[in-house]
Amino acid sequence: MDRIVFKSVGKIFRHRPALFNWLGREREGETIALRDVSFSTSDAAVLILLGPNGSGKTTALKLISTLLLPDSGSVSVGGFNTERDADDVRRQVGIAVATERSFFPRLSARENLEFFAALDEVRRSERRQRVKEVLHDAGLEQSADTLVMKFSSGMYQRLGIARALVKRPSVLLLDEPTRSLDAATTAHFWTTIRALAEQHTTVLIATHNFAEAVAVGSRLLLLHHGEVVADRSVSRGESADTLRSFYFRMTGEIDQAALNHL
Amino acid sequence: MNSTLDKLHAILRRDLLTALRHRSGFVVTLVGVFTELAAFYFLSHAIGPGFRPAGVEYFPFLLVGTGLYTFFLMSAQAFLSAVEQAQQTGTLEVLMTTSTRPAELIILSSMSAFSGKLFNLLVYLFAGVAVFRASVHANLLSCLAILILSFAIALAFGIAAATLQVAFQKGSALLWLFGSGFWFLSGTMFPIQSLPRPLEMLGRAVPLTYAIDGMRKALLQGESVRTMAGTLSVLAGFGVVLLPLAIVGLSLSLRRARLNGTLSFY
Repeated sequence: MDRIVFKSVGKIFRHRPALFNWLGREREGETIALRDVSFSTSDAAVLILLGPNGSGKTTALKLISTLLLPDSGSVSVGGFNTERDADDVRRQVGIAVATERSFFPRLSARENLEFFAALDEVRRSERRQRVKEVLHDAGLEQSADTLVMKFSSGMYQRLGIARALVKRPSVLLLDEPTRSLDAATTAHFWTTIRALAEQHTTVLIATHNFAEAVAVGSRLLLLHHGEVVADRSVSRGESADTLRSFYFRMTGEIDQAALNHL
Repeated sequence: MNSTLDKLHAILRRDLLTALRHRSGFVVTLVGVFTELAAFYFLSHAIGPGFRPAGVEYFPFLLVGTGLYTFFLMSAQAFLSAVEQAQQTGTLEVLMTTSTRPAELIILSSMSAFSGKLFNLLVYLFAGVAVFRASVHANLLSCLAILILSFAIALAFGIAAATLQVAFQKGSALLWLFGSGFWFLSGTMFPIQSLPRPLEMLGRAVPLTYAIDGMRKALLQGESVRTMAGTLSVLAGFGVVLLPLAIVGLSLSLRRARLNGTLSFY
């Protein structure tokens, strides 16, 4: 059975001007975030969501995590519909969002993770050990008892990944997971992702990083203006440059870096 | 049930640790309590012993009125601030992706916010009695009954404010109405019988009026649960109607926010 299924999913964000709008310039309108998107993915896959800003990558992740509901079509995770069976879906999904500071600043990293583990219904007897493991995986053992208000951007990001892993999700959603990470931590993170996929976790990564896409991805979904313009596997040994050329060819955008190189 | 208690414990622990690490906050609260009590103490002295609203001395009358009013208002304020802050930092979205139902999470969080302020209320009343010698003749069972029912109603107002915050980003508007209107109409500082008849009738539609009146009778006059059955029934009625309404409203507003993508708007 497919782990994640998108069936003709549409999502539109409608903008309504504020009251007394004559003082401002806000206009009524809508943004089509996803248009008739269909795809499915099995377990043990690392699906890369590529696309320019506003192409619908984060919207797709939010739809899977139940933070958003589709306007049309349906999304299911492990056979559960995200609208009707949201509780069952949330039990399976872990998400690390791009918002780095989504923690309680006056709690330590360990206390934050223990708190989220409790809300994720990790058994009390297992909680301490589980938190210790994810702190190790995220390379945060030395900072486990530091208040997170003292963390750097990269440490926040690592903690976000640790939080997503603490409930041992069968589906892991990562939004630009290595944006603030240094090279060594990024390499360690990629190894962790590959190991998770081998343990039958389905991983979805929204990224702009071509090197990351070829390093960990097994499949690629290219989104543009809310539509899937390419859905293909990532071949072993594919280079970041090859993927980059493919991306610009498919999206029709101008590769400024390549132009500068000429 | 065990899982819910475990989550409540985690939320209480988070809020307690956060409060303890704001050490200056504790000191400021304590100073604020004593300053306010001192002001009321001297105000009652200035007015003189002849003014005995509802048959009790004015200082204990103020102590109970302002104590309960502050408990209601500050609890809702603290809870609303927590929701707003979670929206601003992005924590709210992450919390909504955990295995805990969003409505359950918000209700448990509000219980934590209100428990903290309940502690403040107890400190306030204790200081009024121990330091400023307010005379009390407490019936503890009646006090407990009033406190539990007041707690349920205060929770409903806190959840309603969070509902408006999630739906329209206007939770503070409800609090403003709550703060100024209830202060004036609920007999916090003077008996509502002093108000013109239409306003007095309006005051009788405010649950806080019954909570304050009931607590004065229980704490200052030692009235029993049996003699206060009327007040307790009205409070229970408010709780039975308001709490489920607030919870349904919250569920609807969360669904609307998930459809519109406005969960983190503030």
